[in-house]
Amino acid sequence: MPAAMLVLAVVTSEVLMLVLSASVAIGAAATILVWRARPEPGATPLVGLLVGQCWWSACILFQLRAPTQQGILLWTDLSWIGVMTIPASWFLFSLDYTGRDQYIRPRYIALLFVVPVLTVLFALTSDYHQLLYVVSLSSNETGVVMVEEAGAWYWVAAGYTYLLGIGGMVPLLGLLTSESSTFRGQSATLFVGLLVPWATNFLYLAGLLPSLGIDPTPVAFSISGVAYLGALTHFGLLGTVPTPNGRARQLLFDRMQEGAIVVDVHDNVVDVNDSCVSILGIERRDLLGAPAETVIPEYERLPDDGSLSGPLTITTENDSRPYDVTVTAISNGRGTPIGRVIRFHDIREHLRQQQRLTVLHRILRHNIRTETNIIHGYIDQFADDKNAQIVKKRALRIDEIGEKGRDAIELFDEVRGGESPVPLTTLLEQCVTTARNTHPAATIQLDVPDETVVVDSVLEPVLSNLVENALEHNPSENPHVWVAVDAGDDVCIEVADDGPGIEEYELNVLDDGIETPLKHGSGLGLWIVKWGVDIADGDIRFAANDPTGLVATVVVPRCDDAKRL
Amino acid sequence: MPDQSTQSTHADNVTPAYRTLIEHLFSAARRTKDALLFSSAYLVAIALAESVTVLIALSLPANPAPLVVGLVTFAVYMGDRLADVDTDEVSNPTQSAFVRRHETLLSVLSAAAYGLALAIALFGGPMPLAITLLPGAFWVLYASEWLPEVGTYFQRLKEVLVLNTSIVSLAWAISLVFLPLAFVNSLFTPAAAVVFVYFFLDSFVNTEIPNVHDRFADEAIGVSTLPVVFGVARTRQILYGINLALVALVTGAFVRGVLSTPVSLALLGGLGYTLVVTAFVGRTTRHTRLAIAGEAKAFVVVALFALATVAGL
Repeated sequence: MPAAMLVLAVVTSEVLMLVLSASVAIGAAATILVWRARPEPGATPLVGLLVGQCWWSACILFQLRAPTQQGILLWTDLSWIGVMTIPASWFLFSLDYTGRDQYIRPRYIALLFVVPVLTVLFALTSDYHQLLYVVSLSSNETGVVMVEEAGAWYWVAAGYTYLLGIGGMVPLLGLLTSESSTFRGQSATLFVGLLVPWATNFLYLAGLLPSLGIDPTPVAFSISGVAYLGALTHFGLLGTVPTPNGRARQLLFDRMQEGAIVVDVHDNVVDVNDSCVSILGIERRDLLGAPAETVIPEYERLPDDGSLSGPLTITTENDSRPYDVTVTAISNGRGTPIGRVIRFHDIREHLRQQQRLTVLHRILRHNIRTETNIIHGYIDQFADDKNAQIVKKRALRIDEIGEKGRDAIELFDEVRGGESPVPLTTLLEQCVTTARNTHPAATIQLDVPDETVVVDSVLEPVLSNLVENALEHNPSENPHVWVAVDAGDDVCIEVADDGPGIEEYELNVLDDGIETPLKHGSGLGLWIVKWGVDIADGDIRFAANDPTGLVATVVVPRCDDAKRL
Repeated sequence: MPDQSTQSTHADNVTPAYRTLIEHLFSAARRTKDALLFSSAYLVAIALAESVTVLIALSLPANPAPLVVGLVTFAVYMGDRLADVDTDEVSNPTQSAFVRRHETLLSVLSAAAYGLALAIALFGGPMPLAITLLPGAFWVLYASEWLPEVGTYFQRLKEVLVLNTSIVSLAWAISLVFLPLAFVNSLFTPAAAVVFVYFFLDSFVNTEIPNVHDRFADEAIGVSTLPVVFGVARTRQILYGINLALVALVTGAFVRGVLSTPVSLALLGGLGYTLVVTAFVGRTTRHTRLAIAGEAKAFVVVALFALATVAGL
């Protein structure tokens, strides 16, 4: 060998050893940090992976420094411990880290390590067989040389290594597209940590990488080590772990109160949650795989996507209940439909409530009015009696309360009917006109914008009650009410008066949202206002007016979909 | 010439500035001292001094062993402080607060120190690497949750009288003496045996000194140490005995020509210093200072060796 080439070989060898020792230093530091993170999911297999990397690098370094051929062979054989630990550990890490720990059981781990253990055994006993290496003698100009080529088991081990490498990447791929930048960073650095040595190994095996007769893969571990350290210190690897994600979603599906059943594109049941099993009254094992039409009544009525119009009654051996059914189509990443989720929401209690409200509505509308009309009729016979006039006034009040009750029930009926947009100006003009008719002495000032502002019609009882309250509770002979609208992204409706204001406890009851026998408001008007605003997805605030009175401010979203008018 | 009032104002301005500077200097010195003490960085200096003592005593050529020992010392002790940060909150709140404040940095630094030590040891070959891994292996074995049965067994060893201190001392002495030998492929000579025993017993004494302060806490958790079993006065006497035995060992080695004159004088001087420190055991409330004073013997030995060499002995 010419002197220049010899010097170059020595220098290259020294540089190689420095890089290898650096990879051990970085790998060992990362190992310690990962060790300290135990028992975080994935920490223990990652320790195994890093130790494997350090071991392999150390063996290659000792191989380079070995003074004898025997020493070189010994370190080559020993390096297989690290070589085969890495892919198995990587695979286990990937499973553990992504929450697939149900596969990490002693028997599976033992199975996973069969090939690595056999490979190490074959390496340590390679003097007695040619499974791992095929050794032959060849002669050249310098004499007889020993040529070592890959044996049959070598390719088994290499194939197994690559298989586990790819197998470990699959669960982590999902993290690459995660919405969380932390998980994206973690998975990206993990991929760099794995792919760089793997690519180096591939290029070496393909004969595309110059080497000094040794596998240069461990050299790339220095980059892996930096990547893992970066993942640990910068992206919170083992600090912020995605392990619970999959389990949490499954838990949510299994434990949700609504019944849920998943069907594939062939309408066969592929998954079902606990609630749905009890709703349908069929064992899980009988449900899974069954055609949906045989387990879900009136299956043909269900839409491809969206809500079923009207309830679906499901009858089991013990029970018969109505359900609201919603179907959600599932598509894959390319938008191709792959199945549907059908959800069953029990509405028996809701329907009962509805029945009760209907009966109450009838009582408030018909019975109370009839009774108060009879009282009026009798009272009119004692027109001059002062006490009789008081009774008449009270009877009118009862009638009013009945009317408010009807308003409240109608309000809830509107919720069932869905959003119904109306122009705000029309709504306010109606309210003001009605108020002017009932309170002719009042001054009501209405200030509306020129543009057409559309709001939910549920605001009608809200605004009429606000204006009416402002007038009714004002003892002045000439009460004033100002109604103003400010339409921006939301609509702000201000109803101000010059009355005595409102008692603090009335507002407190509204804030609490509940009344008790000891703590209650004075009527239904304010409740109608609050419920209506809530239904319209809005907000209401009360403030004192200057110098006297109350300002009620209602803020609601616009419903500017003109087509629905 | 400025008038009197101007002078006065000027003096008033200078004094606070001077005071502020002094305060800053004191504050910086205090912070540095805390950092050295709480991060166990001062132990690195002690480890370096002891490693240099080994090189001199065994007439070994300069090699990276002291550096490796220093790095491992920092890594292991820092690792211990990080692991014990919760329990130290009661016994040593200032140290615990320091460690907690710089937890990430100290964790990375200690891991990097061990990694660097292993990388350096790699160039010495498999034996130095194995010796460098030894403290890490002990650490793994102590972690009971890793190998529950083995870990529990080692945890129990920590509770056994003498054995607990002996394990720590043995690991320390092996690293100090065998690592320099392994780096230069030197044989285990009689001088090496004497130095090994010296460091083993010296570490034993240095480990038992702080146990006097910790005796009630140790007793509460069932750990048997000399002060727990024999009381403070008897512990002091035992430590005197160990030091005197070491004096006899070093003197004997000197008489037989195993150790050179400067080395023997330095070691004997160091032992004299330890006897004085031992005299304070149980007689002072400055426990931390006493423990550090015991460990600082390494500097005394190196200084005495330098003096003896300069004096031509």
